[in-house]
Amino acid sequence: MSEAPMKKGYTDDQKYEVFNREFMPHIDSMYNFAFRLTTDEDDANDLVQDTYLKAFRFISSFEQGTNAKAWLFRILKNSFINDYRKKSKEPSKVDYQEVETTYNSEDAADTSHTVDLRADAVQDLIGDEVANALNSLPVDFRTVIILCDIEGFTYEEMAKILDIPIGTVRSRLHRARNLLKEKLKNYAGSMGYDA
Amino acid sequence: MNVSSKTSEAAGAKQEQPMKHHCEHHTECMKMIQALLDGEANEEEKEHFRLNMDKCMPCIQTFQLEKCIKDALHSKVERRPCPEKLVAAIKAQLNY
Repeated sequence: MSEAPMKKGYTDDQKYEVFNREFMPHIDSMYNFAFRLTTDEDDANDLVQDTYLKAFRFISSFEQGTNAKAWLFRILKNSFINDYRKKSKEPSKVDYQEVETTYNSEDAADTSHTVDLRADAVQDLIGDEVANALNSLPVDFRTVIILCDIEGFTYEEMAKILDIPIGTVRSRLHRARNLLKEKLKNYAGSMGYDA
Repeated sequence: MNVSSKTSEAAGAKQEQPMKHHCEHHTECMKMIQALLDGEANEEEKEHFRLNMDKCMPCIQTFQLEKCIKDALHSKVERRPCPEKLVAAIKAQLNY
């Protein structure tokens, strides 16, 4: 904290030192994020490796003392979007647009979403069921829930990671949670809670 | 039994506001509840919640449900730690 921000011109030693001190402590969260996004261990491995190599390459644009975790998550998210779209003909974009259209009107989203799901039914769900419900959401909605509820980022940090305004973070979270409730309801229902 | 239920009814009638069983601004309430649970509510929202939280059944249920879902995501969804092999591979790529 006492060091002045060194924006450029790290020596090689300093690069490794910053990398170790600021970036490596977040590797478990990064891997978890990558796994939740890709839902595949090999893809998660590749994504995290790519992200860390990029982070090292662009380390001069990281300012010490700023939020390294958010900075890394942003790189990972961008790498994911690029790779994901390359790999599978932009399904994330298509899915998102489809869902955005369906849920674009706030009213449409909300009247249909006084979801009949009880808190105690959620308490009885097992982790895999919650994870499967989460995984079944379109990636943009899944992402905000991971960032907020699993990783605990603030709305402001999420806005930076996702390059969207805070108002959009709020409304996307709201929609994501409504969708998630519908998915969770299927699991709760299949356990016999749904009369 | 009859007597006591009568007196409790009378006491209930004296209360200023009965419990609401329908929320006419549920969308707004739900957004506020989510902001609260996310630790992102402003002072006005917190105050509104404090004054009204026990007066509207749909909002009470929403609060409980949203909290349960948030807790379930945080505590039940398995966290995958980064494999050690991957850490080693990254370090090897960077020559350190």
